[in-house]
Amino acid sequence: MTQTHLPLRAHELTKHYGSRTILRRVSLQIEAGETIALQGGNGAGKTTLLRCLAAITRPTRGAVWWFGHPAYGDPKVRRYVGMVGHESRLYPHLTLGENLTFAGRMHGIDRPIRRAERLLAEIGLAEHGHRLPTQISRGMVQRVAVARALVHHPPILLLDEPFSGLDVEGRAWLMGTLARLRDMGCAICFSSHDETVAEILADRVCELRCGRLYELGGERRDDARREDQRVLARVA
Amino acid sequence: MRRVIGEVCVAVLLVAAILAASFLAPTESTMGHAQRLVYIHVPVAWFDLLAFLAMGVCGIVYLARRDLKWDHGFQAAAEVGWLCCGLTLVTGSLWAHEAWGTWWEWDPRLTTTFILWAIYSGVLLVRSGIEDPHHRARVGAVLAILGALDVPLVIVATRWFRGMHPVAPEMTPSMRVALLTGVVGFTVFFLFLARGRYEQLESENGVLELRRQMEG
Amino acid sequence: MTRVAKISACWREWPERRESLRRMAGFWWIVHKDLVSEFRSRRVWPAMLLLGIVVALLFSIQMNLLPEQKRQILGGLLWLSVFFAGTSLFDRSFALEREDGCQGALQLLPVGPGTVFLAKLTVNALALLALEGLLIPLFFILSDLSLGAHAGPLLLIAVLASPAPAAVGTLVSGLAVGQGRGGLLVLVVLPLAVPVLLAAAECTRLALESRLDEVWWRWLQLLGAFAVIFVAAGVLLFEYVIED
Repeated sequence: MTQTHLPLRAHELTKHYGSRTILRRVSLQIEAGETIALQGGNGAGKTTLLRCLAAITRPTRGAVWWFGHPAYGDPKVRRYVGMVGHESRLYPHLTLGENLTFAGRMHGIDRPIRRAERLLAEIGLAEHGHRLPTQISRGMVQRVAVARALVHHPPILLLDEPFSGLDVEGRAWLMGTLARLRDMGCAICFSSHDETVAEILADRVCELRCGRLYELGGERRDDARREDQRVLARVA
Repeated sequence: MRRVIGEVCVAVLLVAAILAASFLAPTESTMGHAQRLVYIHVPVAWFDLLAFLAMGVCGIVYLARRDLKWDHGFQAAAEVGWLCCGLTLVTGSLWAHEAWGTWWEWDPRLTTTFILWAIYSGVLLVRSGIEDPHHRARVGAVLAILGALDVPLVIVATRWFRGMHPVAPEMTPSMRVALLTGVVGFTVFFLFLARGRYEQLESENGVLELRRQMEG
Repeated sequence: MTRVAKISACWREWPERRESLRRMAGFWWIVHKDLVSEFRSRRVWPAMLLLGIVVALLFSIQMNLLPEQKRQILGGLLWLSVFFAGTSLFDRSFALEREDGCQGALQLLPVGPGTVFLAKLTVNALALLALEGLLIPLFFILSDLSLGAHAGPLLLIAVLASPAPAAVGTLVSGLAVGQGRGGLLVLVVLPLAVPVLLAAAECTRLALESRLDEVWWRWLQLLGAFAVIFVAAGVLLFEYVIED
């Protein structure tokens, strides 16, 4: 629990699936209040990397630490992490409110029902709380999925293609949310096909190619970033 | 060179086992030549239990160390064990037909062996459908551990059903020698088979690793 | 930066509760979630119960026997039906979690695999008990024996015989994740559950013949031992079952 530990540190992650190699010695560190965008073509390993960082998939070699705690250890440390997956992973037979409440209860937060209501209000679905995930649009489901990842105030947030399926309004909402979380000190890593989103939000942009991680960057992005901050201010 | 010597030893022991069963052991008075099945039946039955034990151990070590080497041992033991288990059932059934006049009895040991065979077959089938070696290893390990826990219970449950399998029948000294030679000969032979399979799996994995390195 | 660090440090102060209490709560809410889901979707239990009824009817067509003969075989048939219908349950319980892509969501929760296993096991064992609650009276009606006289011992047998197959089934069906070969895994569950089948059938036969002696007691102990061993094995092994 000391300040010296980075929120997230991954060391030489390697993942084989059968004869295929998905990740090759990927190392990554994220500081508090830092946002990293992952890019790369289909099948480059973005999802696998995020799943390894969230300790859902066990890497063949290498290790992940959250605030200095090994990710594959005591399940309690999972409370550091919020993850929005590729699919929504909402339970189809629980209402939106119940989905959020369930997640809150499992994380042991206080007054989970009120927290769920507040989150629903925040994402603009307060009056849809009693509906099932199958009865609302894809974009709305995505919002609920993000809300569920935030239910326990995680200091590390991992998102896999969070912008896919969102309309313009939804994108603006999510970008605003992520920017706000980053300013509060959340360590964020998200994958995206969309370069503009990555440029606006991210402090660092990394690209996965053939299972290796390359950092794109330099001054050009700093200029672009300042420009994009203004754009973001206008949008949000 | 050492390898050749080893192979010759295995061959000699196996031939000795067969010769001992055929010529050294006397023809039994009531059952005649059919009784000679015992000299194969007991060694393979013993080996399938040994292989099952080996699977359980390999599974536990794999889960602890995550080293595919142990899974190759697991696979080799499972395949040879499955073969032995099948042979046990076949030879036992032939023998039972001569001795008891029936191909099959729900006797404790027969039932246990049959269940063992079913578990072996299930494990091998399920494993064959999984592509990722670590996933395959995990599935095998979990099932083998469950199986190893199950076998003692199966034995207890089926024994309480009253059995008719001969436990330690009367044997002349030459019969004992033939049986012992058989157990040693066949055990060495099957160990040799299992080792061969293990080495094959290891080199397959080695090729895979090399290809990975070449790809970058 | 210091401001950021301070805020993120605040974030890391969790309300510390007693750990065992938190685990109990986690266990209960997973069970609750699964039961609510099943109650609303009815995707597993009705099919299982129907299969049980059909198997029971098919078996009883053959039962044109004297009462004492019926007492002899009723136990075996009853438990065979329960096991056959039960396999459809094991096959589906994790398939559902998988279909909805919720396996990953479960892995993200700060509860240990042992807790998740016990919760899933409880739901499956409840389903098996429901199945037994339906099939036991049905068999008695179809075979024209009196249930009232044997209700107590049968209840005990049902309660003891349910956890072990549910544990094996929960564990093994969890293995199928991402494979689509669940049917094969059920093939492994049946041989593994043979001792329970034998013990439950023998217990039932002795109970029907009103021989609640020490032999009966011994079989009951075997059922209990089986349940304890496999539930414990499941708690320890489940970690390896659900990881990806």
